[in-house]
Order: sequence, then C-alpha cells, then structure tokens
Amino acid sequence: MKGIMFTEFLEMVEQRFGYNMVDTLLKITNLPSGGIYTAVGTYDYTEMEDLMSNLSLKTNIPSQELFRSFGNYLFKSFIIIYHYIYETTTDTFSLLTSIDSHIHTEVKKLYPDAELPQFEVSKINDNTLVFYYHSSLKMAGLAYGLIEACVQYFGENASITQESLNDDSSSVKFVIAKQ
Amino acid sequence: MEEIELLKHRIEREQKARKQAEEILERKSLELYKANEQLRNLNENLESQIKIGITKLQKTEQLYQELIESVQDIIYKISPEGYFTFVNKVVEQRLGYSEKEIIGLHFTQLVLPEYRETLLEFYKNMILQKRESTYHEFPVSAKDGTTVWIGQTVRLIESENNNIELVAVARDITDHKATEDSLRTTQTRLSTLITNLQKGVLVEDENRKIILVNQLFCEIFNISTPIESLIGFDCSQSAEETKHLFHNPEQFVQRIDEILTQKVITVEENLNMIDGRVLQRDYIPIFLEGHYRGHLWEYADITEQHRSQEIIRKSEEKYRGIMNNMELGLLEVDNNQVIIRAYDRFCKMIGYTEEELVGKVAPDLFVAKEFNDTLDSHQKQRSKGHASSYELQLVRKDGSKLWTIVSGAPIIDENGEVVGSLGIHYDITERKSLEQELELAKQIAEDARQAEKQFLANMSHEIRTPLNAIIGMTHLLFDTRPNKQQYEYLDILKTSADFLLSLISDLLDMAKIEAGRIEVQKQPFDLVGLLRTTQRVFQIRLENRPIELNLMIDARISGSYVGDELILNQILMNLIGNSEKFTEEGSIDIAVKQKKQEDDITWIEFKIIDTGSGIPEEKLDLIFQKFKQVNAQGHKHKGTGLGLAITKQLIEVQEGTISVKSEEGEGTTFTFTLPFQKSDSEIALNTHEINYAPSSVEGCKILVAEDNIMNQKYISSLLTKWNINFIIANDGRKAIEQAQKQLFDIILMDIQMPNTDGYEATISIRNTKNPNQHTPIIALTASAMLDQKSKALTVGMNDFITKPFAPNHLLNTLRIYINSSKLAANSVIEIESDNDTESPIDRIRLKELYGDDKEYATEMFQTFLNDVLPDFQFMNNLLAQKEWVKMGTLTHKLKPTLGMVGLCDLEIQMQTLEKILKEESDMSQVQSLWENIQHGLNESIPLLEQELDKLMK
Repeated sequence: MKGIMFTEFLEMVEQRFGYNMVDTLLKITNLPSGGIYTAVGTYDYTEMEDLMSNLSLKTNIPSQELFRSFGNYLFKSFIIIYHYIYETTTDTFSLLTSIDSHIHTEVKKLYPDAELPQFEVSKINDNTLVFYYHSSLKMAGLAYGLIEACVQYFGENASITQESLNDDSSSVKFVIAKQ
Repeated sequence: MEEIELLKHRIEREQKARKQAEEILERKSLELYKANEQLRNLNENLESQIKIGITKLQKTEQLYQELIESVQDIIYKISPEGYFTFVNKVVEQRLGYSEKEIIGLHFTQLVLPEYRETLLEFYKNMILQKRESTYHEFPVSAKDGTTVWIGQTVRLIESENNNIELVAVARDITDHKATEDSLRTTQTRLSTLITNLQKGVLVEDENRKIILVNQLFCEIFNISTPIESLIGFDCSQSAEETKHLFHNPEQFVQRIDEILTQKVITVEENLNMIDGRVLQRDYIPIFLEGHYRGHLWEYADITEQHRSQEIIRKSEEKYRGIMNNMELGLLEVDNNQVIIRAYDRFCKMIGYTEEELVGKVAPDLFVAKEFNDTLDSHQKQRSKGHASSYELQLVRKDGSKLWTIVSGAPIIDENGEVVGSLGIHYDITERKSLEQELELAKQIAEDARQAEKQFLANMSHEIRTPLNAIIGMTHLLFDTRPNKQQYEYLDILKTSADFLLSLISDLLDMAKIEAGRIEVQKQPFDLVGLLRTTQRVFQIRLENRPIELNLMIDARISGSYVGDELILNQILMNLIGNSEKFTEEGSIDIAVKQKKQEDDITWIEFKIIDTGSGIPEEKLDLIFQKFKQVNAQGHKHKGTGLGLAITKQLIEVQEGTISVKSEEGEGTTFTFTLPFQKSDSEIALNTHEINYAPSSVEGCKILVAEDNIMNQKYISSLLTKWNINFIIANDGRKAIEQAQKQLFDIILMDIQMPNTDGYEATISIRNTKNPNQHTPIIALTASAMLDQKSKALTVGMNDFITKPFAPNHLLNTLRIYINSSKLAANSVIEIESDNDTESPIDRIRLKELYGDDKEYATEMFQTFLNDVLPDFQFMNNLLAQKEWVKMGTLTHKLKPTLGMVGLCDLEIQMQTLEKILKEESDMSQVQSLWENIQHGLNESIPLLEQELDKLMK
C-alpha cells in the first residue's frame, strides 16, 4: 500500500483524535515498518488493517465507519494534491465513471507498483449509477467515504445506498441516486 | 512530559520517515540517472542510424530516379485535380511532348475525346473508393497527332498531411493493342466460322486429343456431352466406337487409319450412315514448321444434297436416255443464229461434226432455203421469250434432205434476258414420207369413193334411162288400142319393168345404207306440213279406190322440229305404200302422237294402221329382213323384199325403233318412233315463194328441160294428152333462156343435162331477174339417191319425180302444184254453197283448199278458232307499244290463216297492213286499218263456228 495512504491516515487520526492516539496506535500495533511512513514509500497493507482495527478498538467506532471518515478526509486531500487529475470531471457520475479508465491510469503512471481496487460502474439512467467495489483489502467503507465526499464536493444532492455482496466487505454494491 | 515524549517520538518518526524518503528518492534519482544515461545513448545510436538510413534512402531514391529515367514506361504524377505534377523523360520519346509542356496540363487533354469521360469517371471512382492501385487502358493523342494506346497502373499515394497524389506508370501498348485487336478479330472470325460452319469440325492434336470441336459435329455423331468437356478427349478409339453408325463399319475404321497414316489432305469422301444420312468427310493435316501438329476433320451432312444430286443424276440419266432413245438432236444458238453448241445426236442427224457447226450461222449452213422465212418468224417468237414448234427441212452435209420437227425454246440467262434459243430436232423424214404416202392413199381412196359414188349414180341413171323409155313406151302403147293379147303382153311388160325399176332403186338404196353413206341431215322442218303433204299424195293415189286415208295428229305436235325431213318422208312413203299395196278396201290410218319428252328431245310415234291382208304371225319376224317376202307367191304386188328392211335401217340410223303388229286378214299396224328436237326458229318456209299455177291443169303452161329424146317423147305425149301447153328445152342453158322469155306455171327440170345441168339452171332461174323466179320447179331425177334429192331442194327446186315415172305420178305431182279444184271437181263432194253473198267466207277459196276433204277443213277451222284466234290479241299490244317490226312479223304470220278459213277480204287487208308496216310508209293508217280488220274478224267468228258445225255433221 502506498505510503500516502498511511501518512494521510495518521494525519486524519491526529486531526480527529489527537497525536496521542497516533502515538498509541503506533505503539500498540505491531508494525513491520516500525510506524515510519513516507508518502513516496510502499508498505504492507496489513499494517493499515492492523492500525484500523486498533483504532476501532481504541475509539470504539466500527472500522468501516472509520474507513468512511478516512474516505471523506482522503478525497479532500486528493483533490488538493492531484487537482490536475480531477480537473476534467464536473460531477460525481463523470468522476466515478472515469476512475477505472482515467484516474487509475494516471495513478499507474505515477506508481507503477500501486495496487488499485477494481470498480464496475453502470449508469442505470441519468440520475442513477450503480458502483460495484471488489477488493481484497476490504475497505468498502473507504469507498463509501470517498463517494460521499465526492457528492459533497460537487455540491450534489444524491443518496448513497450500500449493499454488501458478501460478509467481509470485499464486494459491495453502491447505488448513487441523484435527487 | 508525556507531551515531550510524544513529540520526541513524533520527531524521531518523522526524521526516520524523512531519511527513508530521502533514501527512496536517492534510489529513484539514481534509477532516473541511469535511465537517462540509457536514453541518451539510445538517442545517439538512433541519430547515427537515421543518418545511415537517410544515406541509404538517398541512394535508393537516386536509384529509383535513375530507374524511372531509364524505364521505357512513362511515369508521372498528377494531382488529385488531374494536373501533371511530374513526368519522366520517356514521355517525350513516346508522345513527343517535353516535360515542360506536360507539367501543368490536365491529363485528359492528351486523351482522345471519346474516351475522356469514361476515364475521368474511372479515376474519380478510384479516388473516391480509395483503391490503392488500378490498371486501365485508353488511347491518347501524341503531339504529332498519332494515337498511342496507353496501359497504365495508377497508385494512389496519400502523404502524411492527407494530400493525395496519383502516381502512374504508363506503357505504350499500341503495338500490343494492335496485335491483340488483330488476334481477337482473327479469333472471333475463326470461332464464328467454326461455330457457324455447316460442317461438323473436329481438330485433334498429334496425340489425337481434341483441341476443338463444334456443336454440329456433336449433333452429327449424336454426342450429348457438352463441347467444353470434350476438349482434351482422346480420340484414338473414336472410330471404333462410332463405326456402328456406318454402313460399312470396318471400311470406315480402316479408312480413318489409312488417312491418319498418310497425313495427306483428303477431301469429299462420302460416307453412308445406317440411318440413311450421307456424310461428306474432309481431312486436313496440320503442319507447323514442317512438324505434324495434328489434323482437322470436317463432316458435312450432305444427305439432302446427296439426295437431290441423286435425283438430278437419275433424272439427267433418264432424260439423256429418253433423248438418246427418242433421237432428239439438240442445238443451241445465240440471238444471231450462231451455233453455240451442237449435241452428238444433232451432229449425227445433220452429218457435220460439232467443230464444223460451232460458230457458224445455222440457217446459212443447213436450213433449206425455202424454210428461211419459217425459221425467221419462229425466231422472232423466241426473242419475245415464246417457245414454239414447227416443221423444218434441213440439208445434210452430203446434200440429202432431212425433215425435222423443231421444238424451239428461248434460252434465258440469269438476268431474264433472252440470249439465244435451244432447238430440239426430231427426224420426221420417214414420217413425212409416210404422211405423203398416206395423203396419196387417202386421195386414191377418196377418188375411189367418188368414183364409186359416181358409178352408183351413173348406174342408177344408165339403167333407169332405158327403163324409163321402156315404161314410157309401154304406157304410150296402151293408148294405141292394142288387141286383148297385145294388152296382156303390154301389161306383163309394164309389171316387169316396174318391178325391175323398184328392184334397182331398192338395191341402190340398200347398198348406200350398208356403205354407211346415209347421213342424217338435221334441219328444222314443218312436221305437220310434211304429214299433210304425204296424206295428199296418197289421197290422190287412192282416188277411186274404196280406201279411206285418215290422218290423226296429236294436238301437242305443232311448229317446227329438227330432223331429216327427207328420210322421214321416205319412211312414210315406204310404209304407207306398203299398206296401200296390201289393202284392198277399208282404211289406212296415219296416227301421230307425241310419245314422250326428254329434255329437249321429243319422241314422236307414228302409226300406220291398215285393214289389209295382214301378215301371218310366224312371218312377222321376217318382214324386216332383206329379200324376205311375206306375201304369197303370185300376189299381184311383187316387191324386192328390200322396202321394209330399208325402212328399218332408215329408222335406226336416226336412233329410232320400229315394230309391227298384225293379224292375218284383219290388217297390219306399223309403229315407229323417232326423236326430234323442237325447234325454236320458225322454218324458213319456201325461201322461194311459189306462184301457184292456175287452178286448172288444162291450158296451163309448162317448161320441160330434158335432153333425152325418149323422155322428151314420153313427157310430150303425156302432156299433150292432158291438154297442157309445154315448151321443151334440150339442156339447162336453153331452159334458162326460155325461162327468161315467158312465164311458166311449172318447170320440169331434168338433172343430168349437157352444158348446164338442172341444178345450175335452177340456181340461175331462182337468182336472176326473170318471170319464173318463183315458178315451181320439179326435178326429174334419174337417180333415186337421197343425197341428190336433198341437193335438188337445196338449190331451190320444189319437188322431184324419180324417173321413170308413171303418168299418174307426174299428173299427181302437177296437181299438187296446180290448184286442183277443177281437176277434182268431178269427184269431190261439194261443200254446200250458201247463197248468202253477204257472207265474208269465200267458199270458192275453201273449195280450192279442201275440195271434198271435210276432215281437213274441220281441222283447219278448229285450229283457227282455238289456236290462231287468240294470237290476234297480240296485235293490239304491239300497236300500243308501236312495235312496228314485230307487228309486221305477226301480221305476216297471221295473214295466211285468214285465207285458210276463207276470210279472203281480211287476208287482203292484212296484206295491206303488212306492207305499210314493212315500208313504215303511212303509219297513220295502221290503227284504223287494224281496227277494221279486228271488227271484220269479230263479226266473222260466229259464221266460222257455224261453218265448223256443218263440217262436223
């Protein structure tokens, strides 16, 4: 997993729970990296799992809820950092439909070793989009948060419903319906 | 503290993270550097490669350039709009235009106008469809005006900035095109020729594999395989396989092998096929540069041709045979009679060779001079295109004459012009001489016949003349008061002489009939008149005998009939004469009726019924046979036994029949039936009107033309006895002289007289102006021959007496022609005379007419009242229509009928009327005159009826 995910995660924890929580997590979690993350580095994604599960323990907030918050946070950071990537999109649907083809292509250029989740997008009609998420990283909540933030970002009024297609959040169906 | 500890941890972590990041960056930077180095090296390498490539390219381009320059094809580029942008130098060589001249031209400017549009269309399509390469052929015009055929490959080249350019490689294919054209033409010609050949064609290569075959060939040999699939077929076994189609299979195969071995052109061999067809085969071997490369078979179905040739050959053979056998000499001449061709037979005929004849003028060489005109006239026909045949005498080379019959026909060339004529000569020399002999023989026969005829006439004359004298003198002797014994001798003399006379007459007649010399001469005649005359003749003869002679005529019989009057007269005379002979007392009835009517033929039945001695039944069969006499020996009427035989013959020559019924002691009935045609034409009654002699024989004047002194004496003594004045003329000429001097009541005319005979004298008297033009002339013929009698009537004589004649015969005849009232006065029953002088009926006239014959008078009155009277009504119609000519004719016809019933005044009036109508002189009188007649006639009718009543009592 790209280091930026860890740095952004720790920033989000710091911002929401204070650096104490960051420190605690780093201490209590057995991390091969020793908790030393740089955005340009690459780390085992289990570290994220472990960090998240410890945070959930510590904060008593479900990990998917936390991922959703992380998604919200991360989207804003992405918008700032990779603004050029998002420039061509004007709304949630166009952004979501361009992830696989455009955004991930650009990501691959920067990080050839990046492991990217797979999406299937199908536009039911002008107002309804179905978004399937399949990932071994089981971070459906992150996806939720990202979509949510996106809708907010474009100032759109849309409902997002999430439907797990299996038990472990590795396959999830999102239905985004514009109001 | 905790916070510091926390921060420391944080810094520591961040430092570690920074170092870690720096490390990563350091590593990445190194990677980048290395990559950069690699790229730089690569770039340098590429540059040098490009340089090498460019050099290579330049070289290639140069090579291409050189190639383009050196090729014989025109290579050019044109813009998509069609303007030349590049062209190689070859163009100058090919088309005469320099590069400079070409560049900037539109490519169509060079193309022949009629191809421009198609070409433009072609390349437009090419660009539109973006076809990379095309090939097209078209003609262009070179600078010098000649046409050059171009075959060009055009490539469409698209440069990076989408500019399209067309690059063309154009080759001069003029020669190729010409060759191709001529090849195609040849090929087309050949294939058309073969396909349309009326022959089956098979071309085989040297290995007998089929190269070419046409449909007709397959049809001839009943091959159903399509032509295309036969190509390449091995024919080495074909002969064996098809031999069964031919009449002589083995010979067929053998001959093919022979031909194939010889490899020599073999043509027009005929092959007879089993199905009757006849094929004609040609074999042509094919040699290429001295090497045998196969052969061509041609089979033509010449069945029809063969058949017609056969027919022609046979007919030629036939006609040649016919002509040879018929010995017909053929000769062809041109329009100037110059001989073009002479055929063998003609040469033989005429004795010249063909070489001697050809080129000569035919009539000059061998036509007998006197026939040149004949030949010329027929040649004229020929020039008009007519054929004709005629007899021509030719002169042979040796000078002998040759009679030919020539059938000449024009020779007409293909343009329909007469170019000469063809004469077919048939030697008729023998026939001609035979003909002449025949002519001679015929002449001799004719002469003999004439001589025979003359002999018969002479015989007749020579025998009769002395007989005449004997009989005449016998009659005269009776007047010399002979004693009883002398009288007896005289009687025997007379009877014997009479018998001899009739015997001779009958013999002569029979001879004539048997010689077929009796000709039935059909002419219209008055049948009723003839019967009446006959009746009168016999009435006179039977005078003072207790025999009544009755004539009964069917009312349907009237007018004229066509038949031989003379023969009928003779038949009647014979039969009535026969009855007269055998009837002592009682009656002889003549009954005539119409038996039947078939189309225009009227069969009339004549019955002669007598109350004579009759014929025994057993002898009835004999009476018509020659020389058979039924009557018992010693009967006072001896006959020759020929009379009835002659009668039968005379009836039969007219296709009639005769039969007899008889009962001995009761009488005999002869019945004969003759066919007559009813004539529409009125009989030319008495072309020479007869002036009836004065009513009394006594004191009348007769001219006797007779050269024989004995006869003169006989007639003179008779006439003197009867107190008749007469003048004798010794010959015809003197008779004519006498006739011119004074009027006679009757002329008796001998036929055979010196200087001018009786016929000639009669013709002269009848046809020259003299007082006796209408005097009755009676022929005195020594000959009993019918033809002489006929001639006598023809020349205008009125009757004839056959010499020798009995005095009564002469007298009776005279009485017929002299009004006999006075002669008969003593013996007639007077028709009672009414003293009513006012009566229009002229009794004297009636007496003159009918004498004591009440029956005749009755019939005449009946006929007049019943049949004639209604005809007078037509006069009114004709008068109303002013049909003067017809009225005149009718007047003429009706006039004498008035006289017949004694209305003489009216008859005279009718005569006047007729004259007016005929001359058309005083037409105003016609009506009043006719009204008078009609009035008179109407008044007379009751009187006529009274008269008829009296007669019938």
